[in-house]
Amino acid sequence: MTFLDSLMAGLSLVSNLEVFLALGLGVAIGVIAGAIPGMSATMAVALTLPFTFSMQPVTGILLLLGVYKGGIFGGSIPAILIKTPGTPASSATVMDGYPMAERGEAGRALGMALWASCTADLVSNLSLILFAGWLASFALNFGPPEFFTLILFSLTIIAGVSGESLLRGAFSALLGLLLATVGLDLIYGTNRFTFGDPNMMGGLNFIAVLIGLFAIPEVLAMAWHPTGHLGKTRSLGKNKVTFADYKKSFRSILRGSFIGVFLGSIPGIGAAPAAFLSYSEARRKSPNKANFGKGEVEGVAAAEAGNNGVAGATLIPLLALGVPGDVITAIIIGAFMVHGLQPGPMMFVVNVDLIYGLFIGLIVSSVFLLVIGSAAIRGFKYVADIPRRILIPTVLILSIYGVFAVNNSVFDIGVMLVMGWVGYLMMRMHIPAPPFLIAFILGPLLEDNFRQAMLMSGGSPVILFRGPITWFFWGLTAITLYAILRTGLRGPKPPDSDAVASPAKN
Amino acid sequence: MDNRQLQIRLGLGAIALSLFLILIAIPNWVSVPSNVPHIVLSPVFWPYTLAGLMGLTGLGLVATGMSQTAGGPPLNEQIEDEKQGYLRLAAIAVIMVVAMAIMAKLGMVWTSMLMFMATVLVLKTRYPIAAFICAVAIPLVLYAFFAHVAGLAIPQGDFVRLP
Amino acid sequence: MKLKPLSLLASAILLGAMSTAALAEYPERPINMIIPYGAGGATDISARAISEPLSKAAGKPMVMSNITGAGGATGSVQVKNARSDGYTMLFARVGSHTVNPAMKATLPYTLDDFRFVTVYEINPVVCAVKEGSDIQSIEDLAKKAEEGGVSYSSSGVGSMLQLAAVMVLDEFGVKDPLNKATHIPQKGGGEAATAVLNGTVTFVCTNSSALANLIANKQLKPILVTTKEPLAGFDAPTAVELGKPALTELVGWTGIAGPKDLPDDVAAKWGEWMAAAVADERFMKTMTSSGSIVELMSPEDASAFINRQYETFKKLVDKLGMRVEG
Repeated sequence: MTFLDSLMAGLSLVSNLEVFLALGLGVAIGVIAGAIPGMSATMAVALTLPFTFSMQPVTGILLLLGVYKGGIFGGSIPAILIKTPGTPASSATVMDGYPMAERGEAGRALGMALWASCTADLVSNLSLILFAGWLASFALNFGPPEFFTLILFSLTIIAGVSGESLLRGAFSALLGLLLATVGLDLIYGTNRFTFGDPNMMGGLNFIAVLIGLFAIPEVLAMAWHPTGHLGKTRSLGKNKVTFADYKKSFRSILRGSFIGVFLGSIPGIGAAPAAFLSYSEARRKSPNKANFGKGEVEGVAAAEAGNNGVAGATLIPLLALGVPGDVITAIIIGAFMVHGLQPGPMMFVVNVDLIYGLFIGLIVSSVFLLVIGSAAIRGFKYVADIPRRILIPTVLILSIYGVFAVNNSVFDIGVMLVMGWVGYLMMRMHIPAPPFLIAFILGPLLEDNFRQAMLMSGGSPVILFRGPITWFFWGLTAITLYAILRTGLRGPKPPDSDAVASPAKN
Repeated sequence: MDNRQLQIRLGLGAIALSLFLILIAIPNWVSVPSNVPHIVLSPVFWPYTLAGLMGLTGLGLVATGMSQTAGGPPLNEQIEDEKQGYLRLAAIAVIMVVAMAIMAKLGMVWTSMLMFMATVLVLKTRYPIAAFICAVAIPLVLYAFFAHVAGLAIPQGDFVRLP
Repeated sequence: MKLKPLSLLASAILLGAMSTAALAEYPERPINMIIPYGAGGATDISARAISEPLSKAAGKPMVMSNITGAGGATGSVQVKNARSDGYTMLFARVGSHTVNPAMKATLPYTLDDFRFVTVYEINPVVCAVKEGSDIQSIEDLAKKAEEGGVSYSSSGVGSMLQLAAVMVLDEFGVKDPLNKATHIPQKGGGEAATAVLNGTVTFVCTNSSALANLIANKQLKPILVTTKEPLAGFDAPTAVELGKPALTELVGWTGIAGPKDLPDDVAAKWGEWMAAAVADERFMKTMTSSGSIVELMSPEDASAFINRQYETFKKLVDKLGMRVEG
């Protein structure tokens, strides 16, 4: 079959109302679920899965993909409005999105998030269609040693989000790495800092830590100084994102999209590191470097481009290899299997109409995201108008329900509250929170891949230099470290008035 | 507290934490199996590495702190009455502890209603009636959503069970 | 908006009062079913597939709760500590209830802490290597393992995958399989299969459902299935054909358990519901499409089956010194 034949076959498969309804419904469910802290995109997809069993395969799978994509964007809404990332992937969006909302620019930040998300989504889908085979075979070269070097490099982004002082960023990151060691040891299954408590054996829940670190300190800061917000302009974001904003950030969006595509096509990394990496690259290249972290619209764009760039690309290992890249695609594999479909290279031969049907549906989903996302923004941005002293307790209660929902565990609520105090102390001490979070995500990956590599080689470190991919990332890490050390270790900049006002509102 | 003081204090804190981990926490609370073939594979290798780096970071913080001039501008904005501020923080802490303690008995919905009201009292809102309505409505709406739309088993207490 | 929550509250109080007034028959409210593994895994798919027909049979909704962590231990402990009124039940799995108890000294529960009401699903185990590998058969694998340089992946320490690989090597005559072959644990079942695909490890033994699509796409090659009869879609000799009937004990399963003091009438109810639920057509289709065999066991049979598998695993663990202390 030629390309055109395949395309027509795909088109005939998806050209009915039911498919588009499912796709639209999926995006809408995803946006709403993503906007609720604790209801991650993963949960939304898992909850939708049983409903797809009775549908046509292409309809059911596009419904799930719609939920996934909607969920990743939806997470940015609470990240910007109430400093509570709706999904882990949107935690990088908090860094500039929330300061913008504080300034009364919620509408602009949300609009930028949406445009960046849709652009990245489109880039990601096109990459899937054009480069799936090539990227997938490349991703298969990633064994533990390659992963180790990639993650080591990713850790250098901590320098980009450390704020005033690099050393304080390092301190924060080390705290995150240490906290991530709690749980059962991967290689031996023995206890590490668990004190025999079955709740601790699984490690601390990531979303509990995330929400604790970002949302709860706002509650405590409010208790410290309940009237601190009065007089600051935090009113309705009537403002909108302009085309000039979009044009200015376009390079960052494109760069972020490709970072997302690259990390998404490698199984096992996920969207949050992509968002942070894209953010830190945008900051490094931007002329407004100093404004990042204080409400720079380009920062929002970069973060959202990074995480949405992942969404289409995680389908690359799924469709081209039959390998799930993350939990969400693992669930989507389940949907394929129920219909007797076996994702993998053979699918491009046996079910080529379905593949092209999915491709067409995915392209359409980017448009749906834009339409449904705008509607959602219009609905949600009035959150910025709620009186702060009612909004803050609401955030507290919402966080409690959301964190419980992740793992049905009351213990996790406790983890979140304790982390809230840790986060508040860090805020008062001017220790940046994002390095903590990045380290908490990447730390276990770094350690696990290091030890897996050591198991492979019987303890010889030579395996960490086993091929061009590892050399590439070692080189990249070395260059970045050199640049950081040259510019960064001059100690904290004298705190200008701006830097003081932003991290703590006390 | 100016920048110099903060930097030095953080550095000393990091060094103390590092020593605590190396001397007490890791040897006592990380179990090591007897048949580890190689030191880099041991469950304690990574925590020790991190603790060491923490110590180095602490030294770095102290060193950079020392090199700065004292008496910079204070880092945190002052508030009118610090004592009241600490009292309010303590009150929130008590609310959190009590909420965790009664959640099993009372269930999540009623606990969060009480928690909302208590927090609003501490914050002294300008809109008490709206706050009260929110305190009742928000936990119920969230319960309805999570229990009936998302299909979760939200913990119910021993007293009044919601449908 | 203001009216709705108020009326909801009123009806809630009313209902609460009613339910305490008359002690209705079990179940009088939704039953919380704990899935000790994450969304999208074999246990989760199986549990969610049966939840709908099961809810219909019981007449009350079954609320599915994933409580993940520590290879199924976190969720299992929640049920162990729950009230034994039949409103908190567990989807028990081979990993959480036979391999873990056999392997882990510090596991916070034992088999005696649970009362099994049924086992309803069996998954055969398949061992596979990468397509194009010079290992053609399980004998090749055993020979290569004896020489050294063979490794296998699993979804973590104490998972069925780890034990399966060791048991297979042991059955095929590899002496001291723990030191001859290297265990490289991964974060989950999907990662374990990927590790074979990208050459990190030599082979993996896992549930047929986890490998079905990789084998159908000719990326992995099956070299052994642990069933008596050949398995459709898996072109590999069975354990019986290879003269190792002991390996037929090595199967994955999903069952339902409650806390140990679960009353008899509750257990009896579950027997009725399960009989009705497994007859559901869509449930059957979901299960068989992923290579599982639906086989409903009575509570007694289920306990006997689980104990037998536990003893088999325990013997192997003790023989090889695989127990995880500390």
